Amino acid sequence: VTGYAELQAQAEPARRRLQALDRPRIAVSIDTSSIAVGAQDTLQALRDAVISRGSDVTVDQVGGNGLSFANPVVEVARTDGSRVLFQRLRAEDAAEFVESVITRNEMSNRWLLGALEGATGVQSMDDYPWWSIQQRRLMAEMGLIDPENVDDALALGAYSGLERALSMTQEEVIAEVTKSRLRGRSGSDFPTGRKWDFLRASPTQPKAVVCNADEGDPGAWINRMTMENDPHALIEGMLICGVACGAERGYIYIREEYPLAFERLRKAVSQAYEHGLLGENILGRGFDFEMKVVRGAGSYVCGEESGLIASIEDARGMPKIRPPFPAASGVFGQGSNVNNVETYHSVAWLLRNGPQRYLEFDTGRNAGTMLFTVSGQVERVGCFELPLGTRTGELYDVCGGGAPMGRTFKAMQPGGPLAGIVPGWCLDLPLEPEEYKAKGLGSMGGGGMVFLDDTSCIVDLCAQFEWFLEDESCGRCTTCHGGTQRMVEILRRIQKGGGRESDIGKLRLLAATLRYSNCAHGQAAPAVIVNAMDWFSDELEEHIYDRRCRARVCKGLVRYEADRAAATRPENADILAHAAEYCLNAATGKSQGACLDCAVCHELLPEVVRVVDAFPPGIGPAPELISVQPAHE
Amino acid sequence: VTSFYGAAHRTEATLEVRQLLEGLAPGEGDLLEALHRVQHRYGYVPKAAIPAIAQHLRLPESRVYGAVTFYSEFRETPPPETLISWCSGPACYIKGGAEIRDALEQLLGCGIGQNTPDNRLGLHLGQCNGTCDNAPQVWVDGKVVGPLTPSKTVALIRELKERA
Repeated sequence: VTGYAELQAQAEPARRRLQALDRPRIAVSIDTSSIAVGAQDTLQALRDAVISRGSDVTVDQVGGNGLSFANPVVEVARTDGSRVLFQRLRAEDAAEFVESVITRNEMSNRWLLGALEGATGVQSMDDYPWWSIQQRRLMAEMGLIDPENVDDALALGAYSGLERALSMTQEEVIAEVTKSRLRGRSGSDFPTGRKWDFLRASPTQPKAVVCNADEGDPGAWINRMTMENDPHALIEGMLICGVACGAERGYIYIREEYPLAFERLRKAVSQAYEHGLLGENILGRGFDFEMKVVRGAGSYVCGEESGLIASIEDARGMPKIRPPFPAASGVFGQGSNVNNVETYHSVAWLLRNGPQRYLEFDTGRNAGTMLFTVSGQVERVGCFELPLGTRTGELYDVCGGGAPMGRTFKAMQPGGPLAGIVPGWCLDLPLEPEEYKAKGLGSMGGGGMVFLDDTSCIVDLCAQFEWFLEDESCGRCTTCHGGTQRMVEILRRIQKGGGRESDIGKLRLLAATLRYSNCAHGQAAPAVIVNAMDWFSDELEEHIYDRRCRARVCKGLVRYEADRAAATRPENADILAHAAEYCLNAATGKSQGACLDCAVCHELLPEVVRVVDAFPPGIGPAPELISVQPAHE
Repeated sequence: VTSFYGAAHRTEATLEVRQLLEGLAPGEGDLLEALHRVQHRYGYVPKAAIPAIAQHLRLPESRVYGAVTFYSEFRETPPPETLISWCSGPACYIKGGAEIRDALEQLLGCGIGQNTPDNRLGLHLGQCNGTCDNAPQVWVDGKVVGPLTPSKTVALIRELKERA
């Protein structure tokens, strides 16, 4: 049996490696985002370069720090305590990079991002508004520690929250969580302390702690950040919940699309077992807890808590009607508490640092910080941590860098297709669930914000999201699987130029009917289309009444028109030949066929081939009951 | 890839599946793990593996088969030599993902979830994993390729066809 003090003593070498270096250290951020742009090759190339130069330098893997746009990110730490970040370092540049930062001691090179600490004469990270606006609490260790090494996490204080919780009563732990006013971070906004108290008070035995790590909302990778880059924070949070509720089993249900997160979590769990942080008599304090990591297999609806529980129980992940709620009967009939990854991570932070510090960011309604992922039509894609109550516009303009040059902001999709879509005024809203609900949205979502500009078409997006929800419907209730199908058919027909006067009424009826579905999937499925009818009605009506798509996206409403004069200009000849080679008509051997709308010619020659309206002005809607071929699926 | 079809192989194959399931137990939430292991070994979940899994986990065969068909990552047929997953996420979609999908389907002559007749290339519906700085993207055997445009998609498929 090992106590916390012994674990800290064991982690001493890791602490020295992280905080008191005896030689320079090059650390490469390795997570799914950086691997996608070749970070593993960069790491290998740096190791080779250091070895071939015989430099006395450590080359390590660390987790990602959320700055997707800067990947592969590399940190150089020196014995003088300075730490400098570099960006977009490719494998082919590794040798030159080592030459620059190690041999010549030059930090101001073309890969320089900024100094985290201590380096003089170098741009500081704090000079970047998108860095200084952040309050990196949950993300503090991300990018610093090797997520596959428990000693790294321990050296920076991991499991000290558990150590504290073990010296408190169940009621005291729950009181701290309640006092901090932490609420579920998945978009449910349910007060975490209250939820835990349900399970604590529940007479069922044994009890289970479940982590919903099925982050299915497209455009969100917040939970992946924790699982890949600081997995012990999640385990610690779940253990604290176990202490508070008297549970002795934990299940982490993780989506299959996150293989690296699964591997790292599984490794973290086994290291936690080896270090006496899981299993029997944890930290020598008489507390027992077993943990299991379950890998999903591609199902969005398993993110709904009763679907998730069904999936863990060896079944299809079909949601059930509640009650009974999980606290009364959850996984295998055990009383269960289900929270998402970020909620447990927040608990770990809060028990390590206490509610007073947690409440340093407090709007009166919401406390603490939250992770937001920013993607879509923005300059900077990444994951940023901000205090709740920050203006949405700051997330977009400061963190995301706003719309690309020459374009304007149009809409935001907060937290997945079930959360809806909001027009421009959303930038003035503080990032607080109440503010979003007051405007008529179901929730603020789990923090996966996708920003759109004027090149996106609302009808096209609605069709895509409804199709996604149709595809992911579990199929149990007809309202949901049939209702989403009908919506997709109508939207696709509108996109093909067959919009009818009766369509808006039909969509309203479908939206009203879907509200009677069994679970949140069907109930919230019409959110985007209702938002489109309420807030983008001009654009929707234009698609139906004028059969026109202002963003020139809906293929049935546009055609490609070549400017003959421009096409014969000699300077265009080469690209024209190039375009002909890539035209899908030619590529598929259908050169005599009709245009396939592949847009290759427009992509390569935007000045020559323009996208124009397919229908003349004043055409009016299509007649009722005309049969239009549904889109091929 | 070991074939399950043909009676001669059946007993041997069932034995092999049992070996794969070692350490998994009934009532522990191990069905998905069992299916993952079988698919990892064979590239898909062969029909003949279903009774062996059901027996091992003491579940009805219908429940095992139900899970295979419910979850989109489990295949009932062998995978293609090269699998192209098209990302269906919003960040990819608003940057022209639909055109990429159209081009893939036209060029391969098959829809999402299908393989080319020679089984060399196949399309799969990919779900967003948050590598959105590469949007619009596809995964070729799990490796991110992006950002794509229609013409880059044509070039990619040409390259893959030549390589195959």
